[in-house]
Amino acid sequence: MASLVGDVMHLKIGATEKWPTDVAFFQPYQVEQVTLPDYSNCLAVRTFLSMSGLKFDLQLKTNAEEMSPSGRVPFLKMGAFLVAEFDPIVANVNMRGLSISAHLDETERSEMTAYITMVHTVLYNAELYLSWIDKDIFASTTRPRYGSVHPWPLSWILPWKRQMEVKSRLNACGWIDKTKENVLDEIKACLQALSDRLAKNTYFFGEKPTELDALVFGHLYNLITVRLPDSKLTGSIQNYRNLVDLCTRIEGKFYRDIQEN
Amino acid sequence: MGAVHAKAPETTMESHRTQFEGPSNDTDPNFNFDIRTVPVKVDRVVIDGVGKTKNDILEKTLKPVLSATNFKEMVEKSTQAKIVLEKLELFKKVDILIDTSKGKNASTNGYEVQYHVEERKYPILNVKMELGAHSANESDVVVRMKSPNLFGRGELCTLDYSRVFKDDGGYGFQFSKPINGDPDIRIGANVYKGYAEFPWSSFKEISRGTALHLMFPTILGSHCLKWEGVWREMRALNRNTSFAVREQSGHTLKSSIQHVLMRDRRDDKILPTKGYLVKLTQEYAGLGGNVEFVKNDVELQYNLPLVFDSIIQLSLAGGILTKIDQNKDIKINDRYFLGGPLTLRGFTVNGVGPHSDGNALGADAYWLSGLHLYTPLPFRPGKGGFGEMFRSHFFVTAGNLGNVNLMETAKENFKNLTETFRLSYGLGVVLRLGGIARLEINYVIPVRSQNGDNVDRGFQYGIGISFL
Repeated sequence: MASLVGDVMHLKIGATEKWPTDVAFFQPYQVEQVTLPDYSNCLAVRTFLSMSGLKFDLQLKTNAEEMSPSGRVPFLKMGAFLVAEFDPIVANVNMRGLSISAHLDETERSEMTAYITMVHTVLYNAELYLSWIDKDIFASTTRPRYGSVHPWPLSWILPWKRQMEVKSRLNACGWIDKTKENVLDEIKACLQALSDRLAKNTYFFGEKPTELDALVFGHLYNLITVRLPDSKLTGSIQNYRNLVDLCTRIEGKFYRDIQEN
Repeated sequence: MGAVHAKAPETTMESHRTQFEGPSNDTDPNFNFDIRTVPVKVDRVVIDGVGKTKNDILEKTLKPVLSATNFKEMVEKSTQAKIVLEKLELFKKVDILIDTSKGKNASTNGYEVQYHVEERKYPILNVKMELGAHSANESDVVVRMKSPNLFGRGELCTLDYSRVFKDDGGYGFQFSKPINGDPDIRIGANVYKGYAEFPWSSFKEISRGTALHLMFPTILGSHCLKWEGVWREMRALNRNTSFAVREQSGHTLKSSIQHVLMRDRRDDKILPTKGYLVKLTQEYAGLGGNVEFVKNDVELQYNLPLVFDSIIQLSLAGGILTKIDQNKDIKINDRYFLGGPLTLRGFTVNGVGPHSDGNALGADAYWLSGLHLYTPLPFRPGKGGFGEMFRSHFFVTAGNLGNVNLMETAKENFKNLTETFRLSYGLGVVLRLGGIARLEINYVIPVRSQNGDNVDRGFQYGIGISFL
C-alpha cells in the first residue's frame, strides 16, 4: 500500500514540468530479442509519443525488462524519473497538460477508456497466449528470441520462468483453458468491435488521433507483420479493411523508418 | 626399570601431554625414569563403539600406533591418531586407554591401546537467528542440519535453509569427503540459492549456484581449488536506485575457477597475539557464461608481541580486477568496495570511492592497510577470564579504491591509487564473538578523504567476520 501511494506521489512530482529534453525510451532489441506482446506495447507507446509530438531517444537494451521499475517494457527515463508501460506513460503525459485526447467530451472519454481496456485484455492476452502458450510458436519463435541474449543454460531457464509467469497471469483471467481457436475467435470479436467503432472515420474519434489509435496500431501492426508459423491470424485481420487502412495511415504519417530499426 | 606400568585412565588429549612429557610422579618421589627409554611393544590396538564407520579408514589412521618402540612414542602416536579421528569428525567422542597386554600372546613389554569411541546417531540440528546477514535491519532464521561421517568415511553433509522475514531466503546443501582418510585433503560440492541486499549500492541479488572444490596442503600452506557456476539475478532495490546501478540489472552467469593459497601461522583468527597470515586468491571467470574477468587478491598480516601483553599488528590487503573483453564492462556485483567500521574505519560501509546519486559504484582495484596496537583493557578487569575476550586498540588505517585506466601506464595508475588515498586513525574496544566474528566500538578521525566519500567521523561500531 505504501508503495502504491509512493508511486502516485512520484508520478505527480515527476510530472510538474513540461516535456523534458532528455527523455530516453528503453526497450529490448527489436530484431532479435523482443517478444510479440512486449513489442506491441513498445510500438504502442512509441506511436503515442510520436502522435503527441514528444521527442525521445530510443535506447535498445538487452536487459530493458530487468531495468524497468515495473519489470515490463517499455519504460521512459525523464531525468532521474522512470515511468513504465502504456497506461502510466499516457497518464504522465496527460498530467503535463500534453494530452492528445483533451478535445474529447466525457462520454467519448469513457468510451475510449473502455476500448483501451478491451484492447489490453483481449489483444494483449491473446498475444501472450499465442507466443507463450501455443507450443509451436513458443518453441520456434518466442523461446529462441527471449533466450537469445543469454548464455546456455539461462537461454532455456529464463524463457521457461517467464512462461510460468504468463501461465499464472492467464490462469487468473481464465484464458489458460482456451484453445487456439477460442483465442482467434476472441481476437476476431475484438477486431469486429473496433472495426464497427472506427467505421469510415480517419481515426477512432474523428480527425485527430488519440491514445486508442496508438494502442490499436501497436497491436495490429505487429500482428499483421509478425511472421508466425501459420498465417490464419494474419488472414483474419486482413478481413477488417478499415483497421488495416488505419494502420497504413498511421505508419505513413508517424513512421517512415519503422522497418529499419 | 622393567616393572614400570603406567595405566592411563580415560583422559583427554591435553592431560596426556602433561602427564607423560615429564618424569612420572608415581608414589615414590625419588623414583625417576625417562619415558623415552622405556621399551614398548604395542601388541594390540582395540577400538570399540564402532558402528557405521568403515574399517579401512580406521586401520589407516590407527596403524602408526603399532610401530611405537618406546613409551613416549606410543603416547604421542596414539594421541596423534586421536587428533586425526577428531579432525575427520568420525565420532562424537574419542577416549584413549593404554593398558599392559594380558593373556597368552602378550609379549614382555606388551601394551594394548584402546580407543573408546561414540558415533553420532542423529544429525546435528540447529536453528539460529542471524542479524543483519542479508540486510541491515532484518534478521533471518537459519535452520542447519549437519551430519558428519554420513557414509562411514568422514563424509560431511550439511543442509541449510534460511528465511528472511519478508523475502525468500536461501538454501544450501554441502557435501565434502576426505580423500584416503586424510583429514587435510578433502573434495566437496555444494548447491545453493541465496538472496542478498546491498543497501550501499541500492541493489538486490538472487544467486543460484553450484561449486566443486578440492582442498589440499603443500609446503606453502593450504590450497583450495574451486570451480563455481552461479546465476545471478540483479535488480534495483527501489525507485530511488541510481540509474547507473539500475542499468546493470539483469541476469549474469558466472563460471569461474578460483585458487586460494592460505598460510596461517597465527595463534587465533580474531585476536591473534603472534604469527602471520598470507592469503593469495586468484580467480578466472569466463569458462562459459557471460562474465569474464581475472581477479587477484592478496591479504597479509603480521603480529608482533610486545611487553605487557600488547601486540602490534600490521595488515595489508589489495586486489585488482582485469577485464578480458575490453568492450564488456565488469558489473557492479563483481567489483571491489571499500570502507566500513572493520576495514577502512572512519567511512560508512563501502562508502569510499565513486558514487552516483549516493549509490556506491565500486571499482577495479583497491588497497588497504592497517596498523593496530592491541592492549588489554585498562586496569585489566576480568584478567585471565572474561576480560580476555576484550582488547583495546589504537589504529591507523589507510586505503584507496579506484579504476585502473588502460590508456595510462602502470606507473600512472599506481600514482593515482597512491596519491588519492584515504587515511583515518582512532581508538576503541574490540570484542571477540565466538571464534568467528568480532565487534568493534571505535572513535575514529578520518584525516584524508575524497569528494564523494561517505565519511563517518566519531563513534562507529561494527560486527563482522571480515576485518583488517
